[in-house]
Amino acid sequence: MPQLNRRDFLKALGITGGASALSACGLDDNRYLTPIEHVLPYVVKPDQITPGTPTFFATSILSGPHARSVTSRNREGRVVFVSHNRFATGRPAVTSAEFFELQKLYSPDRVQGPSKGGTAVSWEDGVKELSAAVQSAKASGKLVAYLGGYKSGAIVELLDAFTNGHAVYWEPLGYDADVAASEALFGQRVLPFYGVDKAGYVLSFGAPFLSGWGDADLADRYALARDPNVGHSVVRFALVSGHRDQTGVNADDWLACKPGAEVIVARALAAKVAALKGAAPSLVALIGNVSLDEAAQASGIAADALEAVAQHFASMKGVALPGGANGSTDLAVATYLLNLAVGEPELFHLGGYQGPIHGYDSVERLVADLKAGRVGVLLLDDANPVYALPDDLGVADAIGKAGLVVSVSSQPDETSALASLVLPTASAFEDWGTEAPRPGVHLARQPSMTALYDLRSLGDVLLVAGRAAGLATPAAAVDGEGEVAAAPASLGFGPTTWRAYVQAWWQANVWDGGGTFDAFWEKSLIEGVVGGAVQVLAPTPAATSYAFEAAAAVGGAHVLVTYTHPHRKDGRYANQPWAQEVPDPTTGQVWDSWVEMNKATADALGVVTGDQVEIAADGGTVQVGVQVLPSAADGVVALAFGQGHTGAGRYASVGANAAKLFSAGKDGHGATKWAPMSATVKATGARADLVSTFSQFGMSDEQRNFGVHVAADKLADVGDGEAHHPGELTGIHHLELDQRLLDKNITDFYGTPDHATYRFAMTVDTNACTGCGACSVACYAENNLPVVGKAKVREGREMGWIRINRYWEEDVGGHDAVYFVPMMCQQCGHAGCENVCPVLATYHNIDGLNAMVYNRCVGTRYCSNACPFSVRRFNYHTYTWPEPFNLQLNPDVSTRQMGVMEKCTFCVQRLRREKSAYKNVEGFTAVVPDEQWRSVPACVEACPTQALTFGNLKDPEGAVSKSRLSARNYMPLEELNVFGAINYLAQANFHDDPTAHHSGGHASEGHEASAEHGEHGGEPAGHDAAAH
Amino acid sequence: MQGTIDANRPDSYAAANRDIIRVLLRPSVGWLALFLMSTAAMIYGGWCWYQQLTWGMGVANVTHPNMWGIYIVTFVFWVGIGHAGTLISAILFLVRSRWRTGVYRASEAMTIFAVMTALLFPVLHLGRAWQVYWFFPYPNQRYLWMNFKSPLMWDVFAISTYFTVSAVFFYVGLVPDIAIVRDHSKGLLRKLYGLLALGWRGTGQQWHHYMGAYGFFAALAAPLVLSVHSVVSWDFAMAITAGWHSTIFPPYFVAGAIYSGCAMVITLLLPMTYAFKWHDYVNMWHFEQLAKMCLLTSGILTYAYGMEYFIGWYSQNPFEWAIFSWRATGEYAWAFWIMVFCNCIAPLAWYPRSWRTNPWILFGVSILVNIGMWFERFNIVVSSLAHNFDPATWWYYMPSPIEWGVMLGSFGWFGFWFLLFLQVLPAVAIAEIKEMIAAPVKGSLEAA
Repeated sequence: MPQLNRRDFLKALGITGGASALSACGLDDNRYLTPIEHVLPYVVKPDQITPGTPTFFATSILSGPHARSVTSRNREGRVVFVSHNRFATGRPAVTSAEFFELQKLYSPDRVQGPSKGGTAVSWEDGVKELSAAVQSAKASGKLVAYLGGYKSGAIVELLDAFTNGHAVYWEPLGYDADVAASEALFGQRVLPFYGVDKAGYVLSFGAPFLSGWGDADLADRYALARDPNVGHSVVRFALVSGHRDQTGVNADDWLACKPGAEVIVARALAAKVAALKGAAPSLVALIGNVSLDEAAQASGIAADALEAVAQHFASMKGVALPGGANGSTDLAVATYLLNLAVGEPELFHLGGYQGPIHGYDSVERLVADLKAGRVGVLLLDDANPVYALPDDLGVADAIGKAGLVVSVSSQPDETSALASLVLPTASAFEDWGTEAPRPGVHLARQPSMTALYDLRSLGDVLLVAGRAAGLATPAAAVDGEGEVAAAPASLGFGPTTWRAYVQAWWQANVWDGGGTFDAFWEKSLIEGVVGGAVQVLAPTPAATSYAFEAAAAVGGAHVLVTYTHPHRKDGRYANQPWAQEVPDPTTGQVWDSWVEMNKATADALGVVTGDQVEIAADGGTVQVGVQVLPSAADGVVALAFGQGHTGAGRYASVGANAAKLFSAGKDGHGATKWAPMSATVKATGARADLVSTFSQFGMSDEQRNFGVHVAADKLADVGDGEAHHPGELTGIHHLELDQRLLDKNITDFYGTPDHATYRFAMTVDTNACTGCGACSVACYAENNLPVVGKAKVREGREMGWIRINRYWEEDVGGHDAVYFVPMMCQQCGHAGCENVCPVLATYHNIDGLNAMVYNRCVGTRYCSNACPFSVRRFNYHTYTWPEPFNLQLNPDVSTRQMGVMEKCTFCVQRLRREKSAYKNVEGFTAVVPDEQWRSVPACVEACPTQALTFGNLKDPEGAVSKSRLSARNYMPLEELNVFGAINYLAQANFHDDPTAHHSGGHASEGHEASAEHGEHGGEPAGHDAAAH
Repeated sequence: MQGTIDANRPDSYAAANRDIIRVLLRPSVGWLALFLMSTAAMIYGGWCWYQQLTWGMGVANVTHPNMWGIYIVTFVFWVGIGHAGTLISAILFLVRSRWRTGVYRASEAMTIFAVMTALLFPVLHLGRAWQVYWFFPYPNQRYLWMNFKSPLMWDVFAISTYFTVSAVFFYVGLVPDIAIVRDHSKGLLRKLYGLLALGWRGTGQQWHHYMGAYGFFAALAAPLVLSVHSVVSWDFAMAITAGWHSTIFPPYFVAGAIYSGCAMVITLLLPMTYAFKWHDYVNMWHFEQLAKMCLLTSGILTYAYGMEYFIGWYSQNPFEWAIFSWRATGEYAWAFWIMVFCNCIAPLAWYPRSWRTNPWILFGVSILVNIGMWFERFNIVVSSLAHNFDPATWWYYMPSPIEWGVMLGSFGWFGFWFLLFLQVLPAVAIAEIKEMIAAPVKGSLEAA
């Protein structure tokens, strides 16, 4: 090429160079068995997707009473995380249930498209079939019925129109007893609102209100009441129940009640409180005449203990909560009366969930209709009666008698398996919708991603099928594109799409008419929530009398108590690996069912933890392993609902189904009846296959100050702030440092790491922690933690970065002290792990994080041995995510190779993203000012009770720095001088005063020593501490 | 076999040559059986490790908090075994202790192979063994460097140095003997041994240089005997873990290493002496010296065990005291009491002279000491981790079949090399034996 000029030469060079570079990519020798992926840029970039940048959608995931406005984080078209919506009222919180819903979205067992009798059909044919069936049902006078879980807002209106009012919203462990009680007393089928945050005393009869029962914020309202810095008092929590679940072990006082006698106790207390408060005679008449002695005799609780409860309840603004799964309408009525006796509407009113809640009687009626052949079309959604109800009701047989059984759920379960037509509908992440958890509060739901499979909205299916069946003449055309002048009172089947329906419904029911609706709609989608203030709807009894059923303690050697599991709930999350693998809060059990009983009961049966027993009751027999735990009263055996599925997916078929022990029944007000009953328990002689993540070598912290409490009354009036010295009330006795060393400030051989701008730190308030496990689940979601399965958990190989230690000290001053102490990497200033790593895979970074370079790790595991908190986790195997779980993986965090150590780094990917984003705007050397800092680790973002606080220790005004001055402050293993970044706040309870064990002199030595510890820690908080 | 220094001396240089060389390259049925067993064990261990490489560390039962298990236990065990040889060959040479002559070659070989065995474990206990080269300071474009603060890094250098120096010292000592074997061989073997003999002709000048070099290497190797196990002990002593974090560890580990090493020398050499009928060269006098060495170090160990408990109590450190009291009474008490019996009580049988010169008692107790020393490391490594600081994580570790297999493989690997050594190199230092025989006088000269 004689004519080659410089420009052509460079072109040629570029082409050949580029080509050789490209071919080099193909020459990957695949040494690490990594798949070769070809990354191509978008030709046309989709809206809202910028690779590497998350998009956030304000939406709501849970439905019915539990609905909460959340923000879903979408990365490259997939939702990967759920967090609090900052436009919503209330403190930031997400429960584990929302994360389980997230994992459910990516369940490999999801139904991927419509089918008829097992063969795939097109949506057009499927919906045509449905509409034809509806039409013929209408013509022949048969019913079109729907059975699903609790729903509120627009979908209820559409479902009711589609079924002509024959939609049944029922959940097996729902609130039908609570609304039946409301109906009996107040004439309204609504849920009450419990103003626990305003209360000084909480009395529960077993409701699991710290794991999602009641409403979305109830646990947080309890945490507010429990916080000594809010109102400077700590709410006292008493539990009357035969069994303590995760909620129950948080109680200060457990009044072990013979199961069945709760109603008598509640009534006796109500009568006593009514007398103490001088309640109206009409209320006294409603309560009836039950004396405390009578209650004491029936329940086995000492009369003076009941007397004390009544006194507290009356004098300290008490709130009473009804029973949980074992509750009944009578118990709910009795607790309502107890609340009415106090007469404070802000503590108890009717401003709770107003949506439809149907009772067992509705299901029974539906079954009767089915059996009689009166049902032409049955739509089955997310209620699973075949699994969740005793067999003797004959739900399965009845369903077979319907003309056409259609499943609209995209999750497989035992009931939808009976459907001949499957029209899988989108999940809350993929759909439009509205929720109304309380009067005056409306949540918008919008798709956070396109549907994973060939799924449609339930709304769209109903609209198309309803119109085709001629169910209603279309009202004014609403196509969702333009504003309609005035939305019709009933939308009928007019809107062409579900989105348009939701929009029109929103316009008709939520919009206050100000401005334009388009602007309001846009604002609603951005903010996700309209309204938020609690409306106090004062409760006035409409009834003048209420007939309590005769109640007595259940007799027999063993009484079976069943309860709602904090993770699996009524079984709906049993197929979610996170819900199985994140350990049960009180027992540490994973992937199974177990029966809890106390030592005396177990000894009488001759069994120990892990032995198998057979429980026989009215409806059937199950075989489960024994977990000996002081959580149950004498003779009580406690079994959780939610396991023992037979057709709900590949992960759900573990454990035993407690519902099948019952025979079908309802109480006098039509509520589903899971009353405690006499059961025959006998050892089978076999061992059960129970696996617990908890230590099998004792339950306490061996006096090592992991679980610490202070006397709550010492915090009265001043909280734990300025009037105290740091850690003063914990009673932890520190050894004195030699004054000669202190004088020369040579307490430490090595200097403290220097942190220029940030020392990221966390405070764990063990007083607020209820052990619910939401932080753990959030960590699984954010950090791509692998689920290892039961066999590997047995070998101790669970991968959770947050271990919620449960320490249980029996009978300390007449109480069991139970501590939940979330333990994660402490990001030590003098970390044991950092020095010992031979390849510098773990090191202390400039922000105070104990950083971990996964790709540098060779797997000596020395760091884990040197970690006093044992919080590092090791990849023993190559862990995989069965498709499509991999779509949930957070792209900001790498998955880890076999042989690599991993651990918590305060979600460093979030912290780095914020720092980088700030630098992009403000310049490379800019640092985010403390007051603008927003990123927090996933666990902190999730915690439903604000037990976790994140911040910068270099900011003396920050919440974490201030918490280090708390009188409740302590750091586990502080004497090791590892200078961790996590400080703990002691539980404030009503057991005893730990400082009372020391003389005054010791106590003052204690705080001097701790102040000095703080000082040579070199942090501002420490200096402040020393200044005290 | 008699038990004095002067008994049963070979009567001539020729007898010494003949007796030692006679066993070379003539595998007996017993040798073959042992060699096949060792090779089979080695291959099985290799297969077990292959499983671990393929499926991950999860095939071993190590788990948090017990992140180290019998791999590290066996590693420390073999490093300990690797102590006696250089102690006997170098330190006893420097102090001119005459009883080393008969036993030093075999114990030195044992040292080399024990260290070779020990060196396997840091590799095969790694989660990502294929990245083991990251332990070494090699220049790389990513500026990756190692952490010289880590005791594991010290280990790398301490053990590789010890191995290098011991191997060179071993080889230097072998040169005159290889020359003798060369002179007694024919054909290809003569060429091979000739190459290894480095042209040794036994001239006065060569001997002069040789003895200077030998003394130099002995002086170089001597401090390493003390340093290497001190450094290994820092793997534990430098970590914060209660039950590890103790200043008594270096001397305690060195004493333990010498103890286990001498016991292992007895275990290996006693059968060898009988099998090869080498009573003229290695006899009860030598074994008695070894037994006395064991008695001394056993006393030191017993003191150290007691002192651990004393410090645990005296320091009033609740974690220390908890771990030590639990070790003796908790779930691992069986391992603790095996250790106490084997290391502190069983050697007492060697106090009466008649007992310690009884080959059965000698051999039996030496086996017990080996077991006891393995359990000592088991107690340190396993029980301290199992009851770490946080009671919520307490665990009970027992090795998995794969771990046992790898450990068995390590014994096979050691046996493979040691048995091979017995067949190809003189296991008794011929040249040094000759120093103890009266020099041949002209006239009575036999064919040499």
